[in-house]
Amino acid sequence: MDFTPSELMAVSGARELEDTQVVAVGLGLPVVAAFLAQKTHAPNMTILFEIGVIDPEPIETGVGLADPRVWNRATVLSSFTDILGSVLHRGRVDVGFLGGLEVDQYGNLNATLVGNPNGKFRHINGGGGANDIASSAQKTIYIMRQEERKFRETISFITSPGYLKGGNSRRKVGLPGGPSRVITDKAIFGFDPETKKMMLISIHPGNRLEDVLSTMGFRPIIPQHIPVTEPPTAKQLRLIREEIDPERMYMGGQEK
Amino acid sequence: MTKRTSLSEAVASIPSGSHIALSGFAIARCTMAFTHEVIRQGILGLTVSQCLGGMDTDMLVGAGAVDRLIYGGGSLDRFGRLAFVNAGIENSSLKAELYSSLSITFRFLAGSLGLPFIPIRSLVGSDVLAQLENRAGSDIAYVTDPFSGDRWLTLKPLVPDVAIVQVQTADEEGNSVILGPKWDNAEQVRAARRTIVIAEHIVPGNVIRRQPELCVIPGLMVSHVVDLPFAAHPTCMYHEYDYDADEIKKYVEAQKAPQKFRDYLDKYVYGVKDHWGYLDRVGGLRRLRTLRADPILGY
Repeated sequence: MDFTPSELMAVSGARELEDTQVVAVGLGLPVVAAFLAQKTHAPNMTILFEIGVIDPEPIETGVGLADPRVWNRATVLSSFTDILGSVLHRGRVDVGFLGGLEVDQYGNLNATLVGNPNGKFRHINGGGGANDIASSAQKTIYIMRQEERKFRETISFITSPGYLKGGNSRRKVGLPGGPSRVITDKAIFGFDPETKKMMLISIHPGNRLEDVLSTMGFRPIIPQHIPVTEPPTAKQLRLIREEIDPERMYMGGQEK
Repeated sequence: MTKRTSLSEAVASIPSGSHIALSGFAIARCTMAFTHEVIRQGILGLTVSQCLGGMDTDMLVGAGAVDRLIYGGGSLDRFGRLAFVNAGIENSSLKAELYSSLSITFRFLAGSLGLPFIPIRSLVGSDVLAQLENRAGSDIAYVTDPFSGDRWLTLKPLVPDVAIVQVQTADEEGNSVILGPKWDNAEQVRAARRTIVIAEHIVPGNVIRRQPELCVIPGLMVSHVVDLPFAAHPTCMYHEYDYDADEIKKYVEAQKAPQKFRDYLDKYVYGVKDHWGYLDRVGGLRRLRTLRADPILGY
């Protein structure tokens, strides 16, 4: 069955989520992944939007978190204090689901600016809750497209702390959790338990190891045996295409 | 006691150089009519604080009314970016202190509770914190938890001079109902020295008293109540009206060149006397009624 890289990213993200987990998501692919998990193997999962939305059931896609279409039929409409404070900062978020502009080998994530922050740079949006989620969730999952300018030895700005300088440096500054997966359009990565360096876990169908490595600015840990990422099922694709993102707002229209 | 005033009177109560907190976010519940009036009155040197900036903040920055922005990020959702804010950060003409959503919320929360500081787990280890230590060092400190002995990052409270909040319904004393997510509005109001409420509807106090649990803003915190429909247009107001995509796109187009933005302001801000003139300019009731929210969906 034909599927796009974005569809495989959303499906791979959904597979990382478990039933009964509390999941904080940003808009875009993380939303598709979370709704897909909820509609398949994780019906008891709780979805959070930082602005104060719990478990919405949208029937139309929205232009962003400020669009009431994505708050539809929520169980709670409250506040940042409620979601990022009483749920996240209190330690009740199992998984934070983030996208970003750049990531380094220790999973530090940039969602703020591109360039040199002390010289010439382009400010994008600022991170919103991306720092808060990466700081207080039990674990985080990143979904982002893989390009050399995005997977870099040194990133322009650390919005969301990953494992900082590797080893136990994250623990040392008092932060729990940390990134567990980086899901791209070419592969899935995890992190070495000791060094906290990014580690290749599987390669998506149709890609070779060199396709993965040539689109990264650093070399990940490469295991002896590299499995191929499991492709989406027909049911998963149908849910994405017909129920979750029929207008292809999040999945894009052109790509193949 | 009635606190009803005109928008121009409420805006005139804000001296240049004030610290204001705005209730909007991206393209929802932005203080648009207020923003237009601030620009018309030529108020300058503002400090703006909020968790996530939106169209109002960007327009105020573009018009040169803002010196300092204390925020956690912002956008126009899929429509675009806060181009004037971003440009101001890139060329250093805007003193921007970029936090995160929760750290701004906690600063308002500390202000709302009258606390001297608030500890937080966020920001630690990030360049957000490194940058703030340079730009806003006096608002950041560390303490030792007297119970556990752990070291904690702490933030100073935010205490705006005025919070300006777009609400669906208020009474004449300022008791106000906000439908939908409130993001940081309840904390902004409670932290601020006073609040200006801009309401789509003014109702008798008895209507508020019928369901007081919906009241998010107690009237005792409010100095002015402005009765003004479609005051968040072209951004959306949950259960009242949808965002006006065509008008937001015109703004995004106007962000692209200084002359385009001057033309935009001439047409929508300087070229009209007040908010009623603005509503006529965007098509009046004939246009606005197409944005009316579905009573079940709220958009």
